[in-house]
Amino acid sequence: MLSRRDEILVGLGVTLLAALTLWWLIPAYVVIPRRVPIKALSPAFWPMVIGWVMLICGLAVVIRAAMAPPPPDAIADDLRVSRPEAMRMGALAVLLIAGFYSLRTVGMVWTSMVLFVALVFLTGSKHRVLGVVAAILLPLALYFFFTKVAGVAIPQGRIVRLP
Amino acid sequence: MTFMEALAAGFTLVAQWESIAFLALGVTIGVIAGAIPGMSATMAVALTLPFTFALQPIFGILLLLGVYKGGIFGGSIPAILIKTPGTPASSATALDGYPMAEQGRAGEALSMSLYASCIADFISNIALILFAAWLASFALNFGPPEMFTLIVFSLTIIAGVSGDSLVKGIIAATLGLLLATIGLDFIGGTERFTFGSVDMRGGLNFVAVLIGLFALPEIIAYIRNPEAKKHRVRGMGYSRLKWPDFRRSLKSIFRGSAIGVFLGAIPGIGAAPSAFLSYSEARRASPQRENFGKGEVEGVAAAEAGNNGVAGATLIPLLSLGIPGDVITAIIIGAFMVHNLTPGPLLFVNNADIVYALFIGLIASSFLLLIVGAVAIRAFRYIADIPSDLLFPGVLVLCIFGVYAINNSIFDVAVMLVMGVVGYIMLLLRFPAAPFLIAFILGPMLENSFRQALLMSRGNLEIFVRGPITILFWCLTILSVVMIIRATMRAARLKREAARSASRVAAEPKA
Repeated sequence: MLSRRDEILVGLGVTLLAALTLWWLIPAYVVIPRRVPIKALSPAFWPMVIGWVMLICGLAVVIRAAMAPPPPDAIADDLRVSRPEAMRMGALAVLLIAGFYSLRTVGMVWTSMVLFVALVFLTGSKHRVLGVVAAILLPLALYFFFTKVAGVAIPQGRIVRLP
Repeated sequence: MTFMEALAAGFTLVAQWESIAFLALGVTIGVIAGAIPGMSATMAVALTLPFTFALQPIFGILLLLGVYKGGIFGGSIPAILIKTPGTPASSATALDGYPMAEQGRAGEALSMSLYASCIADFISNIALILFAAWLASFALNFGPPEMFTLIVFSLTIIAGVSGDSLVKGIIAATLGLLLATIGLDFIGGTERFTFGSVDMRGGLNFVAVLIGLFALPEIIAYIRNPEAKKHRVRGMGYSRLKWPDFRRSLKSIFRGSAIGVFLGAIPGIGAAPSAFLSYSEARRASPQRENFGKGEVEGVAAAEAGNNGVAGATLIPLLSLGIPGDVITAIIIGAFMVHNLTPGPLLFVNNADIVYALFIGLIASSFLLLIVGAVAIRAFRYIADIPSDLLFPGVLVLCIFGVYAINNSIFDVAVMLVMGVVGYIMLLLRFPAAPFLIAFILGPMLENSFRQALLMSRGNLEIFVRGPITILFWCLTILSVVMIIRATMRAARLKREAARSASRVAAEPKA
């Protein structure tokens, strides 16, 4: 259960998202044909229905959180993130973004190996040697399964190519 | 194709050694994954899905069903031995299973859990065979308005019971519906929310969305706090299940199985409410009710029967109506779709051989579960020893390879990563992921039936109350909304009162 303040912020966020959908995303990014015989057949009609339901629900969250008695501190979830947690999550974000962009250039196998080892070290694992061994074996096993058995062309990258 | 012809064709499909081998492999993967703390049956089914694309449809679907069945039972092993339920439904098993393990009776609890699971699973499969074809023949009469009201009813229940707030469940469902509109409009062929990207014209890949939503948030949560996954494993002990204990628990097992079948057949309810209802009914009816919660073997039997009783029954709405009853069956629907099979009433007409092969395979899975489960119970110590700091990086690598392999698309990997962040935010803000995913899957069908119905009526909304079936579904929807709101308010009030009395006790000066 979130605190009253967090619940109101969540409700406002949903309301804002619904408003953006209704008054910006749908007019800008839904292509409507010139002649639509029935309004319901317009490609924008269904997203509009969803947007309005979301808007009503977002407001309902705000009103309910504002009017209902606040939950005691003992059962309210704490959304705060400690500094070490924030640093680990930041590092994970950097690793995932870098990993994604290197899939084509470095190759999926080598990128996966590096990601695996980096995550093992990021969590302060005691099984570092085992982690490095698993980091080498698992992507290679998956590469051979998907390439040789399933016939999927796994991205090889431009540096070192596998058979 | 007559019933006997379909049955014979189905038997021919299953009577290949590969069918049994893939089913056994699936059950083994499921039991192991369910038994690993931090993994879940959902994650196991999601990660196995990409490996089924290269297989024949029957082998792939049997593999996934095996993982599903094995995963549901496997979740009870850590619930009993380390008080960490592998699935939410196994929480009820931990109520008596863990006290038994503390008393050195873990072997007894695990044996009872296995036997109750297999019996309930078997009964659930029989119910599936009896009711699915009947429901499918009834659903053949459904037109677009009936389908629309049925999906609205299903989504309402799923949104209401998946989390602790109906409104948040509906918001999650609307987000899923909105995401499902990305791509080309299926009537006019015009672009919706593609932002000019060619990759988005075909819509977002379902497997990328589900793996991102269910596997990545676990990895992010683990990286945020690696210490949270540490646990202490209890020993097996030397006590074994005795025949008189098993015999006196049979009544609870059959009752729990019936509860599981009934609740499992309703889309959205799932295994957890069934396990707890079965447990509470067993406690109410048992002469040993005062022992419940302190290590009563009948409590383990009831919880596991309720838990596994849904496993076959959740496939009733999936196979006969095309409506996934829970997240795992929503993933299994993906396997059908990949092999160009569309679950629903027409599946029984066009692919009756596959349907009956699945039925026979499911019956076989109950027996395979008995064998694999017995081995897994003894091997649990080795399974539980897989360190989380190697498990989660491994899961990430599996996710990347698996998602890429679906369409040979790097874009799908990006979708998975983005959905992982969305899933983690939803987890933090207490938005249930199940309505999101199921709405994403059912979204095109819901929109299609909505627009087709309005096309039929030339825009007249009265078509949505055109007959007894649509009116029945509207009434059920309203009834379920009222019941969910009442239950949510009562649960919130009880939670607040419990927290207030706890803080009052803590504030009182010690005498």
